[in-house]
Amino acid sequence: MILSNIETIPGRTVVKHLGLVNGSTVRAKHAGRDIMASLKNIFGGELKGYTELLQESREEAISRMVEQAESIGANAVVNVRFSTSSIAAGAAELFAYGTAVVLE
Amino acid sequence: MPIDLIVFLVLLASGYIFGQAAEKRHYKSIFEREKALHGILCSSERHLPEMGNVEGTLVSGSVVISIDYFKRFVAGLRNLFGGRISAYESLLDRARREAILRMKAEAGAYGASSVWNIRLETSSIYKNTQGSIGSVEVLAYGTAIKFR
Amino acid sequence: MALYENPEIPEGINVTAEHPLKDFVLLLLAATGILLAAVLALSLLAGYLVRYVPFAQEQALASRLSTEFQRANSDASKQKQAYLQALANRLAANMDLPKDMSITVHYSTDKTVNAMATLGGNIIIFQGLIDVLPNENALAMVMAHEIAHVRNRHPIVALGRGFAVLLAISSLTGVGDELMQRWVSNMSMITLFSFSRSQEHEADVDALQALLKTYGHVEGAAAFFEYAAKQPRLELTQLLSTHPGLEDRVAQIQQFAQEHDAAGKHELRALPDFIMLHEPQAPATATCD
Repeated sequence: MILSNIETIPGRTVVKHLGLVNGSTVRAKHAGRDIMASLKNIFGGELKGYTELLQESREEAISRMVEQAESIGANAVVNVRFSTSSIAAGAAELFAYGTAVVLE
Repeated sequence: MPIDLIVFLVLLASGYIFGQAAEKRHYKSIFEREKALHGILCSSERHLPEMGNVEGTLVSGSVVISIDYFKRFVAGLRNLFGGRISAYESLLDRARREAILRMKAEAGAYGASSVWNIRLETSSIYKNTQGSIGSVEVLAYGTAIKFR
Repeated sequence: MALYENPEIPEGINVTAEHPLKDFVLLLLAATGILLAAVLALSLLAGYLVRYVPFAQEQALASRLSTEFQRANSDASKQKQAYLQALANRLAANMDLPKDMSITVHYSTDKTVNAMATLGGNIIIFQGLIDVLPNENALAMVMAHEIAHVRNRHPIVALGRGFAVLLAISSLTGVGDELMQRWVSNMSMITLFSFSRSQEHEADVDALQALLKTYGHVEGAAAFFEYAAKQPRLELTQLLSTHPGLEDRVAQIQQFAQEHDAAGKHELRALPDFIMLHEPQAPATATCD
């Protein structure tokens, strides 16, 4: 599965466009991490726990989008976009979407 | 003391019963409308293929959906332990599909045969009394194309 | 021109197909488990720390809280109380009490078959208990058992634990404020005290040692437990629910006797006559509600 966030896959020809596919997930870190994060909020710096949380979730969102694309017979997703929103304190929703295509 | 507990249990039970019923009903209507609007092509691509004499306009659809008390409680518990909040997944799935459907309905009313460069935005309308999630808003927008 | 179409995407990719109740039950169980563990840890910690409260403080607390100890108000009661206090003093002398610790025995005309140790070295002996005991040695065993509780600070440990649990519950749930107030403001906590099995066992062992030192033998020590074992369980649940099995305790006493006693019959001391006499029953007291 090839992903790109431009209209095409460079060097390949798209033979079929299969429309919108998307993947999303909601994740939470456990309370201990939440407490550490609120401490970090005092001193500043990277919230490692949350970086990890968002990264994991984003990967899951991508894999769900890829699953959708595969299920309709695509072998690439172009024009991929991400959106992140916080749904509850300490929980993040990650969303990935793009257009499934069949490459030559 | 028992009053609080009874209120809580009643909220939890009614949240579960009505929430599940509402979700089922919503999914049913989503399936029906998705079938009805299946003719309108959706794509997140910016470049249109050569289609001849066409015209286009911006179309959008949005929806705000709230989670029920039961799922909010489950999500609150899940927040203690971390991990996937499966209670919220169906909420987001429904919201997103509903927004796309409303956008497609608008495109259909315009007479379009396809929508291009679709983008989706999710935002949470939260900070209600408990400071946790109340509801999500999903906005879908794109350019509808019809033959002149 | 490339082909454009919108195939139908199968359901269930973005939604976990799991019944919401399953997640709910699992999470609830886990949360409850963690909560219980935390409360238990808190109560153990409180029980541990509270040992460091000086005995004088404990006595002051007890005298402030306990207005309910029955005063000996008749000559007969005074005589009995004096006898019980003397017995306690004799036993306590053989129990290495810390210097600042003192034992105060209270006598109650109540028919309850019970004796209890509470805060500040206060021990209550009920007439009901005396009535079922055959001799002084049996009474001394019960008395020494209660003194051992005091010496090992069991009442204040129980108080600390109970307080921690109650505090945790009321602050977590926001309920039970009334209960808290009632508990703190009056001495009905006497009845709330319950000692753990290991505490009871510890007290039994200490009591046997004291008996051995005082009388030279432990004969008759098991009398109360043998009596209690013969009673229908229901009547005694109040007293015995937290105590180790009666048969176990009798067996423990017998084993101790075999290890430490010289063989042969020992002389048992009789209870004085006056202690068996009943006086008109006082109105029901608060200590036995």
